[in-house]
Amino acid sequence: MLTRCGDDLFTISVASPADAQALAAHLRRSGHWLEVIPGIDSVVVRFDALQTPAEEVRTALESTLEKGVEPLYFGNEIIEIPVFYGGDEGPDLDALCATTGLTAGEVIELHTSREYTVDMIGFTPGFAFVGGLDDRLRVPRRKEPRQRVESGSVGIADGRTGLYAMASPGGWSIIGRTPLQLFVPGADEPFVLRAGMRVRFRAVEADEL
Amino acid sequence: MTIAVVKPGLQSTLQSRPRVGLRHQGVPASGAADPLSLALANKLLGNPWDAAAIEATLLGPVLRFDVDCAFALTGATASATLNGSAVAAHETLFANAGDQLVIGAIEVGARVYISVAGGLEADEILGSTSTYLQAGFGGLQGRALQSGDTLVPLGNEAAFLQTPDEFRLPVFTSWGLRACIAAETDLLDEASSAVLFDTNWRVGRRADRMGLRFDGPSLSVSSEGRMPSAGVVPGAIQCPEDGKPYVLSVDAGTVGGYPRIAQVARVDRHVLGQLRPGDHVRLLRREPDEALAELATKVEYWREWLPQIDEII
Repeated sequence: MLTRCGDDLFTISVASPADAQALAAHLRRSGHWLEVIPGIDSVVVRFDALQTPAEEVRTALESTLEKGVEPLYFGNEIIEIPVFYGGDEGPDLDALCATTGLTAGEVIELHTSREYTVDMIGFTPGFAFVGGLDDRLRVPRRKEPRQRVESGSVGIADGRTGLYAMASPGGWSIIGRTPLQLFVPGADEPFVLRAGMRVRFRAVEADEL
Repeated sequence: MTIAVVKPGLQSTLQSRPRVGLRHQGVPASGAADPLSLALANKLLGNPWDAAAIEATLLGPVLRFDVDCAFALTGATASATLNGSAVAAHETLFANAGDQLVIGAIEVGARVYISVAGGLEADEILGSTSTYLQAGFGGLQGRALQSGDTLVPLGNEAAFLQTPDEFRLPVFTSWGLRACIAAETDLLDEASSAVLFDTNWRVGRRADRMGLRFDGPSLSVSSEGRMPSAGVVPGAIQCPEDGKPYVLSVDAGTVGGYPRIAQVARVDRHVLGQLRPGDHVRLLRREPDEALAELATKVEYWREWLPQIDEII
């Protein structure tokens, strides 16, 4: 469903993060749009109204939706993300154990035992929303967000793992930290992760941080 | 051949053009919060509209020129002196090596732009030299200016120009912002949706480059208050859990989980950079096409003085 949601904005409702990413990647390739921002179940398109009239934009977007787009495919590669769980780096692990009735070992086992897909990148540069969390690890966001969550922090909330590519305020339950630098501002390829990529977490010791 | 920062002011950063087309990687726009005033300052020096300049917030900096250098001031109103003599905004000014420029407390508006001939040297990251404070990149080492910093002007001379009266962008203490309904406006209950466009909102103390909170009646939404994260752009007005509208500005995150209850129209987004705590704001409801027609009119008006206006606004 296509809706005007501002003078220079349209939003398109989609069924899944994968659909949002596939549609957004397709739309970006056309080079017509100022921003194409995929969300969890939507894609927001910002157009340059001084170049393209809104009705033309609507027609172009409708035509794309009618034709459909190719799913995103990143091959079989799985990116391994080392994580040190608990301690000062994962201050909410104990509370998570209390809420879920699992031991720390069981949480780590559940978190490292499956493959995940990056559903979305956003909020701050490189912040990754990683989907596919085990239902036993499902907790809501913290009621009191932290003013500062350290770079590399690994949090969970609402059935997803969140990877803090840089320090920022945040409301996810932080269970560990990765030494992997997910955003390198000056690099040719500043972002390690892109939406649609598959990842796996591997527990590491503190000396690997 | 530099400019020394004697005192930085409250929050002074180097800003130029926004970063565009990277929100899907989480990279916000940044850039001048009031891009029109940045362009006006650069115009007076013959610079490209987006040459990096100092954006000073609420209290201006003290700068010492260690080189002869043309400069210009635009934006909010503030007292400004060069070696103790008052200098005017909206005209090309000339400093000699050793001169000290003092920008005082800003009186009306929120941000003063200080541009120099050639623009200032700044770190280019992801297509712009604008400072993005949260991630610490762009501008001068990704941070606000500090006492003892040295800035490097990339030129020194400029011809004398004055901004014609009709292009001196005014600043106010009461503002009207044209706005359209947005993706989740229909989540507002009936009373709240009337209140949104019928309240003289007061800009709260939390007003920065990330966004501005409006104080006034509390709004309520019919959902539980959070929704699946969705894309947002500057000008989006969200309704967070406290029911106080929060308007996103240039450094805001690229996705949000709060209902988007209105969207400030492109024609007035540059105004967000001049709102200060205590100012009053009315949201003026516009149909999307109406707001675009007004944008087209505004662009035609400005083109005479700022030929790049399509890109600036």
